[in-house]
Amino acid sequence: MDKVSTARRRPVGKIIAIVCIGVAILYGVHVARVDHAHPSTDDGSLDAEVVHVASTVGGRLIDLRVDLNQHVRRGDLLYRLDPRPYELVVAQAAANLALAEAEVANQQRAVGVKEANVVAASQGVLRARADRDLAARTVDRLRPLSASHYIPLQEYDTAQTALHNAETALVQAQQASAAAQIAVGDLNSSLAARDAAHAALDHARYELEQTTVYASQDGYVTSLHVKTGEILAPSQALFTLIADDQWYAVGNFRENDLHTIRIGDCATVYSMIDRHTPIQGVVRSIGRGVASLDSADLARGLPIVAREMDWVHVAQRFPVRVELDHQHPDLLRVGATTSIAVGSGPACR
Amino acid sequence: MSIRAGKPHVLGRAAGIAPAFALGGCTQAPVIPLFGAYFPGWLLCALVGVVAAVLIRFLCILCGLDAILSFRLFTYLAAGTVIALVLWSVVFGP
Repeated sequence: MDKVSTARRRPVGKIIAIVCIGVAILYGVHVARVDHAHPSTDDGSLDAEVVHVASTVGGRLIDLRVDLNQHVRRGDLLYRLDPRPYELVVAQAAANLALAEAEVANQQRAVGVKEANVVAASQGVLRARADRDLAARTVDRLRPLSASHYIPLQEYDTAQTALHNAETALVQAQQASAAAQIAVGDLNSSLAARDAAHAALDHARYELEQTTVYASQDGYVTSLHVKTGEILAPSQALFTLIADDQWYAVGNFRENDLHTIRIGDCATVYSMIDRHTPIQGVVRSIGRGVASLDSADLARGLPIVAREMDWVHVAQRFPVRVELDHQHPDLLRVGATTSIAVGSGPACR
Repeated sequence: MSIRAGKPHVLGRAAGIAPAFALGGCTQAPVIPLFGAYFPGWLLCALVGVVAAVLIRFLCILCGLDAILSFRLFTYLAAGTVIALVLWSVVFGP
């Protein structure tokens, strides 16, 4: 009786067992393939670009218009530094420019005087030449009279001396004329000084403008810890502005899943701030490199490679950057945990 | 590959037991927050699979089906696995 019952139950039991195990294996393989074709990760975080807000000049903070976590728009006034020192520098530079311009006018007058001197010197040459010609003609006229003793020899000698003096005077006048021409010069040095003063004034005005800091992006103010009265060094960041025009989710995907991810793929992203609201995203880039801890390359010397006999190697992961649709600003906070599914999920249907 | 083609098949198969998984209707991230930590969804599915295998064995013993089964361990294991996989497909699957 017992043997009969055993013989009767065996085939049915075996069929049920084979069906169950077969279905489990086939369905398991199917689910594994589906999972591989739709890469997803729970290891993601929200990210946005930031601007470290600073002024290129230093000074005392006299007017702070923003609060921590406040939203600001591009062009909003964020804070002002004490402009007094920079106003004084502007005044000084303006005075220097006026001085340089006055110097240009001075030099213009000096050049005018020297040009007049050139004209006078050239006329002096003409006069000296005329004197020399007259003296020469006098000598020519007196020479035959002196030879025939019609005139005293003294008179002829005087005429010859006069000719010699006139020739010397002509050479002197010519040299004086040449010197006067060389002495004229130009306005270049004073014009250059004026340009330098102009540039210094522009720079001083630029620095004065930098004492007022405006928002370069729409965004949120973070890391603001100080109040009015703080003294800031040039280029010292006062706070960080999280730009909210573009939000990203960065998730680490295993290298063997990367071939199924393409730039431009749709992605469903959940921010754990509200894990029931899917956010639509688009894959923008896939990390091109990560540092490996297995070996280290030194700048000089040989690479350091650990001795090991590992049979199982854990897959490397690369960050994939997904640009998010920012219709839900409440869900977007930098650093929030996210879950990312590329090419699947409710946001991609 | 044949993922798209396989999907209605999966859903069709799951449709019979869908009412058991009311979660399937609402969209949510495939993680379970618990005491401030996030646990992966498949962990829940595995847990449910184990519990389901035990429950199925209990029910089979009650209705006498257990007596006609052979390779009981593998049968119940397979049944639990299938339930866990179906739950994952319906609730967290792509």
